[in-house]
Formats: sequence, C-alpha cells, structure tokens
Amino acid sequence: MIRIENLTFKYRNSKKNALENIDLSIEDGDFIGIIGKSGAGKSTLTYVINGIIPHHYQGDYYGSVKIDGDDTFDKTPSELSLKIGSVLQDIDSQMVSSVVEDEILYGLENFSIPKDEVEPRLSSSLKELGISSLRYRTIDSLSGGQKQKVAIAAILALRPKMLLLDEPTSELDPKSSVQIFQLLRDLNKKHGITIIVVEQKIMLLSEFAEKLVVMSEGKIVFNGKVRDVMKHSSELERIGINCPRVVTLSNRLIDRGVDIGKVCINLDEAEAMARGLIHG
Amino acid sequence: MKGFLDYVPGNSFLHKLNPLTKLVLSLMICVACFISENHLLLVAIILLNLAIAKAAGILPRGLMLLKGLTKISLVIFLLQLLFIRGGDILITLPLNLLITERGVAMAFVIVFRLIGATMPLALMLSITQMNDLSNVLVTKLKIPYKYAFTLTTAMRFIPIFANEMSGIIEAQASRGVELDTRNIFKKIKFVLPLCVPLLITSVKKIEGSAISAEIRGFHLRTRESCYKGYPIKKSDVGVMFFSAFLVFSAIIVSGA
Amino acid sequence: MVNLQDVFFDYGEGETLKNISCRIDKGEFVAIIGANGAGKTTLCKLLNGLLKPSSGSVVINGMDTGTTKTSTLAKSIGFLFQNPDRQICKNTVREEILFGLELAFNDKVLIAERLENTLSTFGFQGDSNPFNLSRGERQRLALASLIAVEPEILILDEPTTGFDYMESMKTMGMIKELNGKGATVIMICHDMEVVLDFAERVLVLAEGTIIADGQTREIFRKEEALEQASVLPPQLAQLALRLGEGFEDVFSVDEMTDAIMKRMNKERTFEHERFSGLCTG
Ligand SMILES: Nc1ncnc2c1ncn2[C@@H]1O[C@H](COP(=O)(O)OP(=O)(O)OP(=O)(O)O)[C@@H](O)[C@H]1O
Ligand SMILES: Nc1ncnc2c1ncn2[C@@H]1O[C@H](COP(=O)(O)OP(=O)(O)O)[C@@H](O)[C@H]1O
Ligand SMILES: [Mg+2]
Ligand SMILES: [Mg+2]
Repeated sequence: MIRIENLTFKYRNSKKNALENIDLSIEDGDFIGIIGKSGAGKSTLTYVINGIIPHHYQGDYYGSVKIDGDDTFDKTPSELSLKIGSVLQDIDSQMVSSVVEDEILYGLENFSIPKDEVEPRLSSSLKELGISSLRYRTIDSLSGGQKQKVAIAAILALRPKMLLLDEPTSELDPKSSVQIFQLLRDLNKKHGITIIVVEQKIMLLSEFAEKLVVMSEGKIVFNGKVRDVMKHSSELERIGINCPRVVTLSNRLIDRGVDIGKVCINLDEAEAMARGLIHG
Repeated sequence: MKGFLDYVPGNSFLHKLNPLTKLVLSLMICVACFISENHLLLVAIILLNLAIAKAAGILPRGLMLLKGLTKISLVIFLLQLLFIRGGDILITLPLNLLITERGVAMAFVIVFRLIGATMPLALMLSITQMNDLSNVLVTKLKIPYKYAFTLTTAMRFIPIFANEMSGIIEAQASRGVELDTRNIFKKIKFVLPLCVPLLITSVKKIEGSAISAEIRGFHLRTRESCYKGYPIKKSDVGVMFFSAFLVFSAIIVSGA
Repeated sequence: MVNLQDVFFDYGEGETLKNISCRIDKGEFVAIIGANGAGKTTLCKLLNGLLKPSSGSVVINGMDTGTTKTSTLAKSIGFLFQNPDRQICKNTVREEILFGLELAFNDKVLIAERLENTLSTFGFQGDSNPFNLSRGERQRLALASLIAVEPEILILDEPTTGFDYMESMKTMGMIKELNGKGATVIMICHDMEVVLDFAERVLVLAEGTIIADGQTREIFRKEEALEQASVLPPQLAQLALRLGEGFEDVFSVDEMTDAIMKRMNKERTFEHERFSGLCTG
C-alpha cells in the first residue's frame, strides 16, 4: 500500500517543481499505468516511491510518501527494495555486473535468498523473459532490447510484492512488449502483486492496466479506471497523449451517428463491436 | 578499438582459477619484474605473459596490448636513453647529449619492466569478473564488502570508460569527424575534445549503477550473501607455488 | 544508392547476419523491423562502415564500405544511434548543431542560415547545455544536428524510442519532410503505428536474414513473416485481420469507419430484401 500525500518536489539545481501537489493512493493488488509527456514527472514519481528521492537526489521536498505506513524518509532504498522492486528507465547505467548471470545473481545475493532457491529463481526469471540463451553473455555485447530484458529479469527474480517499472518496453519488439505485460498481468492476478508501470504505449496500458494515472507538468491530471480516463480523449490529446486507435475509431463512429454502446478501449472490444454492428 | 580491459568469457584453465590466484599470479609477475634487472628474465616474463594470454584464449588481445605498450615504450626508451648516464660513452650527440652503456642497459630494463608488469594486470582483468574478485576479497580476505565494492567499482570504471570511449568514437566518426584516421597525431587532436562528454557519460553511468545497486539491496549485503563458492583447488595451489617460484628466481638472478 | 550483395557478418560467435542482399534507391523511406537481437542495428552499422562485412559487399553511392572510412561515408550518411548521448559533444545546443554543419560545409552564410533554421524548427534554446536536457530532448538534438546537414541518406536506429506521442509525431514529420526533399531514409522502428504512417517500404529481419521485403501495407498482411519476426501489426490492421473478408485493405481509422459503415448498410439492405421477399412470397 502506497500513500502519497500532498507531495511537492523540486530538484536542487532546477527552477521549477518536478512534482506538484501529488495525492495518490495505491492499494495492494492494483495494476496502475502512468502516462504523460516526457518531462511530465513520471520518473520523478517513481523515484519518490522507491526512495531514490530523498536518499539519492536532494531538493525541496514537501509532503509525505508512506509505504505500508513507513515514511520513505526513515527507510533506505535498500530496505524499501525488499517490498518494491524497481526497473529504472535508463537501461545502460542500470547494470552492476559484466555478465548476465551475475546481474541477476546480484540482487538475489543481497537479499540472502536461500542457496537452494537461487538457481531455480535465476533460471526461471531468464526463461520468463526468453533470454535463457544469453545467460553467459557479457552485457556489453547485448542489443538494446536484450539489455532491457536482463534489467527486468533481475528484478523479477527478487519476487517483490510491488513492482515499479519505468518505461520497461521502450526498446522491446512488439511481441516482447506484449509478453512483458502478460507476465505483469499474471503476477498481478495470480500472486496479487501490485504493479505500477510508466509506459508510453497507451495501447498496452488500455489492454492490461486497470487504472490509469495521467501526468502533465508535474501534476496528476487524471486518475481513475482506464475506461473512465479514455472518455476524456480530446483533453488527453491536448496534453500530448494519444488514444489507442480503436478509441479514435469508436469516437469517429459515434460522430457519424452510429450507436456502438460504449467506447472500445482494446482489440477484443473493438472486434465485438464491429461484429455486432455488421451482423445486426 | 573495442575495449582491452573488459571481461572476455571463456572456459580455459585460467578462467576457472580462483580469482584470488589470478590476482596473486599477476601481482607476483609484477613484483618479479620490479626486482629483476636481468634482461633475459624480463624478456622471459613478457613471453610468459603471452603464453598466459594464449592459454586463456585471448592471444589477439595480448598481442594488441604488447603492440600498444611497445609504442608507449618507444618514447620512454628514448627519454631514458638520453638521460641515464654511466659507463662507457657509446655515442656523442649535439646539444651535449650522450648515449652511454648504462643508459642503453637501463632503458631496456625500464621498458621491459613496464611491458612485463602492465600486461599481467590487464590480462587478469580480461579473464576475471569484478564481481568474483570482490566476492573473494570479501569472503576469503575478510575485507568489508563496502571497500571491496568501492575497489571493484573503481576498477569497473576502466572498462566502462573504454567502452564509452569506443562508443563515442564510433558516433563521432559517423558524423564525419576523422577519428578513424591512422595518423596518430590527427587522432589525438580529434579525441581530446571528446574527453568532457566521455567523463560526463561515464560518471553518469557509475552514478546510475550505484543507484541501481542501492535499489537492489546493496546495504543488505552481508559476508554470507555470496552465492558462488570460491574453493582453492589443487590447480590454484600449483599456480600460487609457481608465482612464488617466479619471485624467488627473480631475487636469485638479480642477487647473483 | 544503397546496395548490399550476399552480406554475411559475425561478431565472432556465430553468424549475426546471413546472406543479406537488397537494394535501396534514392528517395525511398524504408523501415527495418524485427525481434530484439535480430540484427537490425548490426545491419545499419554495416551501411555506414562502422562494421565491415565478413563476406559480400556493401556499396553506398558507389563507395565500397570495405575500403572507405566511416568519416568519409559520413559526408553522405547521417546516422542516429540507439543511444544519442554519445553523439553529443559540445557545451551548448548551438555549438552542437554548428559542429555538425562545419564538418559538412565550408560556406559560412549557408552554415549560419541552416543553424538558425534548425534551432527554430526544433524549438531549441541555443545556449542551453545539452547534458541538462531530458533524454527525449537530447535525442531530438542529436537528430537536429543530423537533419541540419540534410544528408542524402539518413539512417535512424529507433528514432522514437523514449519519445512521447507528440515528440514522435513532430520528429517523424521533420524526417518525412527531409524525405520529401529527396533524402533516402532507413529507419529501425519497433512502433508499428509509426511504420504504417511513415514508411513506404518495410524490410522484415529475423535471425539475421531478410524474410520479407515489400510495400508497407503488403507486409502488414503477411501474418506468418510478422509472427516469425515477433512483430504485431498496427492495432487497426489486427482488427481488420480478425474481421476478415471485406477488410483486406483497411489500415487507418478513416478506412475502418468507412468499411464498417459500408458493411452495416449492406447487411441492412440484405435483410431488407429478404424481408420484402418473404412478404411477397
Ligand atoms: N558488440 C557485440 N559483440 C557480440 N555480439 C553482439 C554485439 N552487438 C550485438 N551483438 C549480438 O548480435 C545480435 C544482433 O544485435 P543487434 O544489436 O543488431 O540487434 P537489434 O536487431 O538491433 O536488436 P534491438 O531491437 O534489441 O536493438 C544480438 O544477438 C546481439 O546480442
Ligand atoms: N536529476 C535531475 N536534476 C534536475 N532536474 C531533473 C532531474 N531529473 C529530472 N529533472 C527534471 O524534472 C522534470 C521531470 O522529469 P522526469 O521525472 O524525468 O519526467 P518524465 O519521466 O515524465 O519524462 C523535468 O523537467 C526534468 O528536466
Ligand atoms: Mg522518465
Ligand atoms: Mg538495435
């Protein structure tokens, strides 16, 4: 459970607030997508949750962030990491080892995972991301997307109860991106793991997330069920966020006077809608 | 142009040695180089280095290192040649410069030393992973993890630096900066201005890696955390003895 | 313009690219798509001579990359890297763009003009420090200094990665504009909506070989090849595939709206006819 109350943050060497009056509650078991233009403060929001702010980046900090009741000021990022696993945005600088296997081992070792559990976790997290064959490769020799998968696998292996991912699919091919989200949905549905994911691909969010937080200029401008947020497609467009094309399609049909019931936000709904229209 | 200090995976006898053994071996080779003034022994050590590279399957890198070091050595050799004096005068040059017998002998010693002592360290870094090294320092030598981590992070800086540099050179060559020229002076002229961005991106990377370590439980780590065991095997003992023998013979030879 | 003949390449651990042959003509807008690790970046680095083929030949504007230096090839090729940071090397945005221009031209007047133009079209503040910009902005800067030069060939490795939607559209618009002036654009891209909207031709790469090559719309109907390359067609193209008959040529929102409405009317007329038929019969 995460409670962010009236949070305002300004980086020390910056003129404007990176976050402004943020109020956000995240319950256990939520699947939340965060979207917004670049520079909107999404990454900064992830930093205040995993404790990188205030422990690593300093600045003017007002308000409070509590993880299961503990203020992030009183816990080090390492302690917070026992509950929250974070995948950061910058892939290249996230690596602490030179070989893939060690990269995954690193967190497992730090968490003192029992020795007999290490190998199963290591191999299963590699397998889940489809990179078992890269296990003994050096990280410098991987392609961009392969590196990103390693970064995600390293966190999944830790099996935290909350997952915080900052643009985890930016360099992934379309199928891998969907696979990552399917994996997140599985973790969320089967194991009740809380998922918070910053993502630019609105199509993935509307397919997989339950709630959507829209940020603009350091503020949260929309926060609610994905479908409810999608109703504001023209306002979203204005702050630089596109809608999935099926939403645009739905709106276009409505404009042309076709009765489609509700706006479709993903492919399945759109298919049902189209079939319904065509076959009466 | 790719890095020459980053880890090269492999399955050789040397790869499988305990990191500690590799560290000892390379340090002892260095020590032997510094003790000895015997040309023959120094050349033998350089050959040994190449043999090590061959055994680890990184001979091309070994030769590349040798070539690079020889280039640097040439400059040092000339300087030493002119400034160390003693023994018979071999050649008298204008400007009151002399080349003496001792000058020649010492110049060779210094150059051989430089080459002989730098190679093993570079080779060791090529076949040892930093994680393994820091784990061994923590578990076997009981150095606190924080220091071991700092040390190995500092060492990791070198390959990161080298890697960034080659990336930057690639990128700049692609925009038309003549970095791929064979003319070394021209190259230096083009590379120098890139030092600032190199430093910025490298520091950013190291900082990112520190943050990333922190959010993956860096502070929770204890001595027992380490997963891989690092047993000292028979082969390790053998190599350690060999290292001792090397230093010993250096002492004997230079004493004689 | 760009000609690859039986190109093979390996990094020393198995073949990364196998038997690549293709020709790209002046003014084409080509997208390269494929799974992570398929060899897209490798292929592009072969085009500007950063990597040399282990066999076969790569010829750009009549120059064989095997014997031409990258810095020479750079006179006709602009290359945007997957990681833009390494391209930026000056202390201000203005100097950065100027540096690229000075490498390409001698004409002071032309340089000054291009510089101001680029600054204003991209909306950059000339004296801001590149290293204080956000990632997206740095990427736009790297691209701006390439576009300023107006190279004959523009190679872009994931130009929209890390961009938000608006940035993507703005940037792609500028690239398209350059393409309109006759530049050849070769772009690696994982965003199929962008590929659909901007590319005319698509190369599909899987495990180091080109498994499909054709007009964009044609490619997005080749389900098998796309599957093999870990690519999903754009959303509405997927919808069209699911709906099947009567939706073969449907890709855009407009086309989909029209197609659905047409089928609705048809269905209604059909029912109407059947109904009237029943009455008379
Ligand atoms: N420097 C290198 N040394 C060894 N192998 C490499 C090197 N660079 C890339 N590879 C390997 O070559 C293959 C192709 O890599 P490439 O970077 O071309 O992929 P890509 O198609 O651009 O992938 P992505 O979409 O993830 O960027 C991958 O398996 C990768 O691991
Ligand atoms: N380390 C930093 N120092 C100073 N300012 C920063 C830093 N990181 C981000 N900012 C600023 O904070 C704002 C929000 O950035 P960020 O959270 O990275 O946005 P997003 O992730 O939504 O793209 C931007 O204006 C950015 O320039
Ligand atoms: Mg961000
Ligand atoms: Mg790539």
